[in-house]
Amino acid sequence: MASGLLLREARRRAGLTQAELGERAGKAASAIGRWERGEVDASLETLIELVRAAGFDLTVGVTVADDHDLALIRRCLARTPAQRLADLTTAVRAFDRMVAIRG
Amino acid sequence: MAEFDPVAMLRTLVQHGVRFVVVGGVAARLRGAPLVTQDVDITPDGAASNLQRLAEALIELDARLRTAADPDGVAFPIDGAMLSAARSWTLVTAHGDLDIMLFPDGTAGYGDLVRDADDLIVSDDGLAVAVASLSDVIRSKEAAGREKDRAVLPLLRRTQEELGRA
Repeated sequence: MASGLLLREARRRAGLTQAELGERAGKAASAIGRWERGEVDASLETLIELVRAAGFDLTVGVTVADDHDLALIRRCLARTPAQRLADLTTAVRAFDRMVAIRG
Repeated sequence: MAEFDPVAMLRTLVQHGVRFVVVGGVAARLRGAPLVTQDVDITPDGAASNLQRLAEALIELDARLRTAADPDGVAFPIDGAMLSAARSWTLVTAHGDLDIMLFPDGTAGYGDLVRDADDLIVSDDGLAVAVASLSDVIRSKEAAGREKDRAVLPLLRRTQEELGRA
């Protein structure tokens, strides 16, 4: 899923169709489509190659895991849509009050 | 500055019978992404009758054009024909900032977005509005390609992965 989204982002940012990217990378347009839709996961090597064909470099590295975002996502997903919007409203109002206090 | 009240804003649109889809950061939030955004983005159906209803709702919301120079906004003549003359409008209302985007980046507008939208309950008293799918929010932010859009893509994708696991 993530590799497909990255591939599609690179292709669209380059303004290429799947056929055009396929031509640049020597791959079939249908294969590009399957990778983008997540029907098949591209290998890391293939993903780097395709992103490069679109004119970008894919930077991959290893860092210490940060589960902060994941914790926030899971907490948000556990709320109902109405609660999520209420939480957002509270956060924005608090931010606005802070800005007003600081002038 | 108007106090941010997205529910009141959406309720006014619904009460005027406006057909629209919530898009952007608020849509992402409603779908479960812990984004913080200070404006409500909507994509209305571009039919003339719908834009006229939207214009009437905007008048009730005291909508003004949002500008960097004037945080309270600049008054402008609001009617359906005027709204159809631009692809997007950035407004400040009595309940906070409202962006109207007839054709969000990477989409073909209302008809394109409403296909995968769902009616979600956004208030304790049961107000329901159509909310774009997280995939469509991601698609639009990818297409927009602005720094602020790219910055939130990892969070949105991770939320989508979590939804996929659920």
